[in-house]
Amino acid sequence: MSMRLPKQVGEWISRDKQIRFTFEGKEYTGYEGDTITSALLASGVKVLGRSFKYHRPRGVLSLANHDINALVTDGQDTNIRADVVKLTKGMTLKAVNTDGGVINDKSKYIDSISPLLPVGFYYKAFHKPAALFPFWEKVIRKAAGLGVVNFNYPRINKRKLNDFCDVLIIGAGPSGLSAALSAAANDLEVILVDENQHLGGSLTYDRAGNADTQQMLDELVAKVSASPNIKVYAAAYAAGYYQDHMVPVVTADGITKVRAKAVIVSTGVFEQPPVFHNNDLPGVMLGSAAQRMIHRYGVKPFNKGIVVTANAHGYRVALDLINAGVKVAAVVDMRAQGQKDEQVAELVRKGVKIYTGFCVYEATPVKGKLGMSGAVVCPYDESTANADVAKAVTIECDGIAMSAGWAPAAALLYQSGIGMGYNNDIQQFVPNRFPKGIFAAGRVNGVYSLEARLTDGARAASEVASFLGKKVAAVSVESHQGTSPSHPYPFVHHPKGKNFVDFDEDIQIKDFINAAKEGFDNIELMKRFTTVGMGPSQGKHSNMNAIRILAKIRNLPVEKIGTTTARPFFHPTPMGHLGGRSFHSHRLTSIHGWHKAAGAFFVDVGAWSRPAYYQKSGLSKLETIQQEAQAVRQSVGIIDGGTLGKIEVCGPDAAAFLERFYTGVYADQKVGHSRYVLLLDELGVVVDDGIATRLADEMFFLTISTSNAAAVYREMQRWLQIWQLNVGLVNVTGAYGLINVAGPNASKVLSKLVSVDVSEAAFPMGSAQTTEIKGVPVRIVRAAFVAKQAYEIYMPTGHALSIWKALLEAGQSEGIRPFGTDTQRLLRLELGHHMPGYDTDGLTNPFEVRAEKALHMEKPFFIGKRSLEIIAKKPLTKVLVPFTLAVDYKGEMPQDCNLVIEAGGIKGRVTSISYSPAAKRIVGLAYVAPHQSELGNVFDIRTDNGGIAKATVVKTPFFNA
Amino acid sequence: MTALIKTTPVAYAQHEQKPAMGVHNGMEVALSFEGAAVEKTHKQVLGVTDVSCFAKFGIKGPKAADWLAKQGLKTPDEINSWVEGAPGTLVLRLGGSEFLVEDQIKGNACNGLSTFNQDKTAGAYQVARADAAFILGGSQALNLLSELCVMDLRDSALASNAVVMTQVAGISATLLRESLAGEQVYRIWCDVSYGPYMWEMLLEIAQELGGGAVGLTARFQ
Repeated sequence: MSMRLPKQVGEWISRDKQIRFTFEGKEYTGYEGDTITSALLASGVKVLGRSFKYHRPRGVLSLANHDINALVTDGQDTNIRADVVKLTKGMTLKAVNTDGGVINDKSKYIDSISPLLPVGFYYKAFHKPAALFPFWEKVIRKAAGLGVVNFNYPRINKRKLNDFCDVLIIGAGPSGLSAALSAAANDLEVILVDENQHLGGSLTYDRAGNADTQQMLDELVAKVSASPNIKVYAAAYAAGYYQDHMVPVVTADGITKVRAKAVIVSTGVFEQPPVFHNNDLPGVMLGSAAQRMIHRYGVKPFNKGIVVTANAHGYRVALDLINAGVKVAAVVDMRAQGQKDEQVAELVRKGVKIYTGFCVYEATPVKGKLGMSGAVVCPYDESTANADVAKAVTIECDGIAMSAGWAPAAALLYQSGIGMGYNNDIQQFVPNRFPKGIFAAGRVNGVYSLEARLTDGARAASEVASFLGKKVAAVSVESHQGTSPSHPYPFVHHPKGKNFVDFDEDIQIKDFINAAKEGFDNIELMKRFTTVGMGPSQGKHSNMNAIRILAKIRNLPVEKIGTTTARPFFHPTPMGHLGGRSFHSHRLTSIHGWHKAAGAFFVDVGAWSRPAYYQKSGLSKLETIQQEAQAVRQSVGIIDGGTLGKIEVCGPDAAAFLERFYTGVYADQKVGHSRYVLLLDELGVVVDDGIATRLADEMFFLTISTSNAAAVYREMQRWLQIWQLNVGLVNVTGAYGLINVAGPNASKVLSKLVSVDVSEAAFPMGSAQTTEIKGVPVRIVRAAFVAKQAYEIYMPTGHALSIWKALLEAGQSEGIRPFGTDTQRLLRLELGHHMPGYDTDGLTNPFEVRAEKALHMEKPFFIGKRSLEIIAKKPLTKVLVPFTLAVDYKGEMPQDCNLVIEAGGIKGRVTSISYSPAAKRIVGLAYVAPHQSELGNVFDIRTDNGGIAKATVVKTPFFNA
Repeated sequence: MTALIKTTPVAYAQHEQKPAMGVHNGMEVALSFEGAAVEKTHKQVLGVTDVSCFAKFGIKGPKAADWLAKQGLKTPDEINSWVEGAPGTLVLRLGGSEFLVEDQIKGNACNGLSTFNQDKTAGAYQVARADAAFILGGSQALNLLSELCVMDLRDSALASNAVVMTQVAGISATLLRESLAGEQVYRIWCDVSYGPYMWEMLLEIAQELGGGAVGLTARFQ
């Protein structure tokens, strides 16, 4: 049976554009502009899903983005919110939380055993016997959660953009529209955000039986559209508030991070359900949901129904229902004093029976609880929340519209740090203390009449303009007049329960009472025990009622109970939105393309991508690395070291700066020479090492390990600020390339390209020289990190590739071979050099790595010296030692981080280990207990599979270099 | 003087686009990608051009401004601003005492600055510059930047002579806007090693928005 109404004024659907889709295997038709829910309702489908816990049939509740029981999947996306997601052609939809379909759900039996499953049952059951827990865990995990994660979900890029404005207005209802227009008139740049497809908020549905407000809405929207100062984000929700007025605005296509000078929150209110037995049956819905259905989508909510209300709004709902052709059998007003205004009179004139001081005691289900057949109404005692069942009246109907009150949509205000107080005149929390630049308007601000809301928007805009330094006239708003829009306690006790407070988690009144009895009588504790507000709607229809219940239980005023913490994101947001484009910044040297063409296998070192080795066909990784190492040991190899951090320290105080920054001495260092540098932190922990080359009296050139470059440069800048020395720091990491030529034939190869004498005798270890290769100025430094004879060649990065090729060509007759970082680590290990970060950790001090020679404790100061003086007085607990395994060792190969064991206890760990082709045995570095560190001592290393490898402490280098 | 030709730091990332390469200012750089007509359209919508070949000179230190002035270059008075220091040459003030000088397509001031001698110039230090540099123009340029940069770069917020040192696509970058033959464009500089990554990101988004790569030839036609 079609429930589609004739065309409604201002409706959101295009009746000339039909859309076919399926739901639960059956084909339906809707219109463009329909949501999934509205199309189904129009087709007469009332049961849209099953509840989370008890698998009760559920229909529409809010039609406002928190109908959690109407979540569907189209096979790709899951947990699609049917109440707000637009219908698209060919959708094939199923409800998510069923086992066998929404009508024949096999799990519906759970409803009948619900007394066995009160809130918190899983905290108490299944722990014993422990052996059965894995079984129960599996059962609970299967039952819990909504939807199925699609691990084959395609990568769909959701852009994360930035936008800016003077004032961000969140919510485009009457107050938001008014605020936007007023702010724009004051020459402010406005961004206006609304979660609905169309602007207008309650103006789009709350009509009280006539369409007079449509003209006002059309005029407001037309003015907004015409204003060059207003930018509109429709179908977009403001997901959170962050410092400095940054608000992420989420749309279907992505997130826009809006930074505003001021924010007006005009988010309105969420309608709250009164709580009575079977208030969850399909056909029972919020009054505003019924209104949305009628005016936005042209759908009749039900044929014959009643309105249960506790405010003036329920009467407006009744008039809208009548106007849509619904037979309104009665209006049931829970308040003893009822309502006296024009709307009531009109309803009476239309013959609607008004039950004042009555409640809906229960809704009567049809078979299978797939709908309702009637409502039992009784006189209601507001002080006890009890119904007088002796005077019950049964009204036949297929729907109930509920209007008992509202809760402010104040999550963003809370996140901004606002202060809220409880206003007894309107039974609502309202702002009473605003952080700078935060403003509220409309119903979230406690302002209810349409005229007052329009004025309140203008008032907020005026205050924003004033806040931003404009001279504007102040606007005042009258406080609320008339009856309270919210009932203080709209609950009806029922011996059978099933009077639901939270529709996400199937939480009933008795669950709160039981929680309080168990001691969870603080709102935050009660939330966690009952899980109220922890479902996908995040308490939008339940938190306020939970607070009211707890206040009643504890006999405290509502304001003493307080509210739970509202954290961003305000609304569930897909992970894909949060991920955005996935920026993975990476640094490449200018030789990268050559490496790739040569078969390099790349590894990430910090932000850099570096060749680990150059894969050779038919060789394993280990064989490749060992061949590369042998090339260096026997002739010459070449490595791209452009990733190394490079910093120039210039100025009259350059040497003094280095003396404070590093552990060594540099004041007497000669120009054209390099020295080892060791950097500690203030706790005396080894941070980095490298080489300082003095290029001029007032200029040093420093190298820093690849992954530490940025951090060390930052530290240099920080200390320079503290010390105020006459020094200039220049980070030339990217500007200079570095190529290391190493091996016994290194000088021979290099000699072919440079005019300076780089022979062993003329260019000893530590020498540095500026010269040219093919006309390119280069700096050459003799270093011995990977081989006894090795030259570091620095050049402008744009020339690095040319010089790399020139070196390869020059070394062709020597069999020059490129090598990668894995080979480099083996080569330096063979020489016995430790690497900070590899052979040290965040606690290692220089005594533990036997770096005493690098420490010049006689200096008046260097970073970490004071700590070292203290550490030096204490006994060492570990020492890094070089070790070898027996030449004929055949056991399992120990790995980095394997433990050093003595008498069953841990004494240390291996930091580096490899087979050395030069030493022809397995060599490594390991931390051992000090008493194990003597030359020749044998210690045990436990391998991955539990075997023991006997290691012997030796001298370095591990081979005759 | 070397005869070796440098290669643009972006070359690796441009490889798949198979640009026609040519040498400008001693660096091999992409002159064109898809032909004049296509690149003209890209320029209008969203064109990305690699201008890493523009000569650069960096200097810092308390006497840096004085030294530049002695070389006849005008320098910005304000921190984080730029001026045309000489015809066809930008001078960016990156901090209190740090400057980046960059010759544009027809500028040649940097050649004269190579005479800098640190030993004879107390209080000023040359900063070796090898930045990857880009020009971004077209109607969708701001749209692209709104995804890559958190700064407000709209005309109303970004002064015409402002230099912004910020993050673009998650990495440190320097950015300004200028008028190039009547067209408003954005200039972006980043560390040379991030050049390929920056090119990839700019081009990926440019292509999504209907733009693409623009060679040096089309950019300055």
